[in-house]
Amino acid sequence: MENRSLIARLTARPELGPFVLLLAELVVFWSINPEFLSPLNISNTLSFTVELGLIALAMTLLMTSGEFDLSVGSVFGFAPVLMWTLFNAGVTSLGLAFVVALVVAALIGFANGWFVTRVRISSFLVTLGMLLVVRGTALFITDGFPQRTWSAGGHWLAEVLVGDFYVGPFRLYMSLFWFILFALLLGYVLTGTKAGNWIQAAGGNANAARARGVKVDRVKVALFMLSATLAGFAGIISSIRTSAANPNSGQGYELEVIAMVVIGGTALTGGRGTIIGTVLGVLILRVMRNGIVLIGVPGLAYNIFIGAIILGMMTLHSFLDRRHQGAN
Amino acid sequence: MARQHSADGTLVRMVGIEKSYGRVRALDGVDFTVREREIVGLLGDNGAGKSTLIKVLSGAVPATGGAIYVRGEKASIRSTTDAIGYGIETIYQDSALVTQLSIARNLFLGREPIKGPRLLNRLDHERMNRVAGELLRRVGISKNIPPTTPIGSLSGGERQAVAIARAMYFDSDLIILDEPTNNLGVAETQGVLSFVRNARDSGHSCIFIAHNIHHVFQVVDRIVVMRRGRVVADDIDPKTSSVEAVERVITGMTEAGVHA
Repeated sequence: MENRSLIARLTARPELGPFVLLLAELVVFWSINPEFLSPLNISNTLSFTVELGLIALAMTLLMTSGEFDLSVGSVFGFAPVLMWTLFNAGVTSLGLAFVVALVVAALIGFANGWFVTRVRISSFLVTLGMLLVVRGTALFITDGFPQRTWSAGGHWLAEVLVGDFYVGPFRLYMSLFWFILFALLLGYVLTGTKAGNWIQAAGGNANAARARGVKVDRVKVALFMLSATLAGFAGIISSIRTSAANPNSGQGYELEVIAMVVIGGTALTGGRGTIIGTVLGVLILRVMRNGIVLIGVPGLAYNIFIGAIILGMMTLHSFLDRRHQGAN
Repeated sequence: MARQHSADGTLVRMVGIEKSYGRVRALDGVDFTVREREIVGLLGDNGAGKSTLIKVLSGAVPATGGAIYVRGEKASIRSTTDAIGYGIETIYQDSALVTQLSIARNLFLGREPIKGPRLLNRLDHERMNRVAGELLRRVGISKNIPPTTPIGSLSGGERQAVAIARAMYFDSDLIILDEPTNNLGVAETQGVLSFVRNARDSGHSCIFIAHNIHHVFQVVDRIVVMRRGRVVADDIDPKTSSVEAVERVITGMTEAGVHA
């Protein structure tokens, strides 16, 4: 009886599908190429994972509130360009440039939120426009050239953001720590706090939430700001890790991030979101990208698999939803 | 305009309310009063203006004329939030709940209890679930439904019960029930009716709108009948009137002297 209800509860969770898929990926890739689970490969996969993953965490909350953000990829490219331009021009110290870049990213998010909640334009159109504005700005101020970044060095900012350390045979980066920190924090916010209840209500039934005094617009603006800030933060981490601030970096990330979030079980239409699911979705896509290369599939075929996963998972979620409703 | 204060026990007083949709006059100078601790049954055929009147009172649509007084004070109700601020809560079928959220989360939406340091903003799940469980039992939901159940998997009647429980718990002075017994089973209907009585007995007033006149007769203190945007009877006592007599007022056959 206890066991049955445990199994029933597990199968009712939206994270089960992504979890099984991730396991299947791991088993298949490992059985074809055992190198896949080598410490080196795991370390490499994790280091790339977290940059997109940070954006996906914020996007999960934003999508739960019923909105989404297409401008994250361009903010990912713009924030480090701004930071390095300020620093290289000798205007500010690196630390201050870092803060300025994050504040500007937050303002971009605020602008997105303002247009969506005040002018009442759909987030698709607002953030599409913002994508172009921000990308264009990054290209304009750099003339399209990558910004000079000083090579790694022992600067404290680099150590805090992307410094590496060894745990046994695994080489881990500080960025992984940031990802875990934000996953725990945002997971707690979404499920354990009053703010999380407001986020879910804003996306589920905004009018009902407003009637109960929930400040729906304020919730959404705050989440747009969070989304843009984390996108900028991830872009800066990426720029230090790769020692490159390219105004073109982050192109197409918005769609990959949204794919990660929906594969994990968060509803595109809002009202329902899961951070655990998003972490699984992030891993599914990154493991796929890494795994198909290791087993000898041309990397160019990557999108075929991603597309198939999205379609497959959406079909599964839709099937489970209908079965769940039919049961009542 | 005569303006009565709450000394006479008047909770809400609507005076000369008018509402036009283009050239259609939905409300034509309606006077309507709810006293404290009173259940008023609002009856009328389709298109008589009951829902428009309720929408004006609950802030869903603005009136084009007239005034509303709450406890003798002139009230400006332009949104549902305004109405809730005046202690007027309207329960429409289905509309006021977030289907993705649990019963407990819906009950406390906007007024969530916090546990621990305020900075952590931590929901008091235990208290939410405990109170929700108690309220569900009081509403008379016979099945044992855990308070963590999402609204989306409840029946229409159960959702109604959750909405009523919420209005009760947060002490709305006036609870407007729009067709609360529609789609309800017999046991659930009796549960809701007894809950409406409990609400009155603990100091709330209710406006009860239902197609089923028998349900109205079982629970209300006074019946108001509307026809073609006007109030045609506003002091029918269900204890001394018959269902048939009220039906004749609703259909307008009384004046014509015709009876069924």
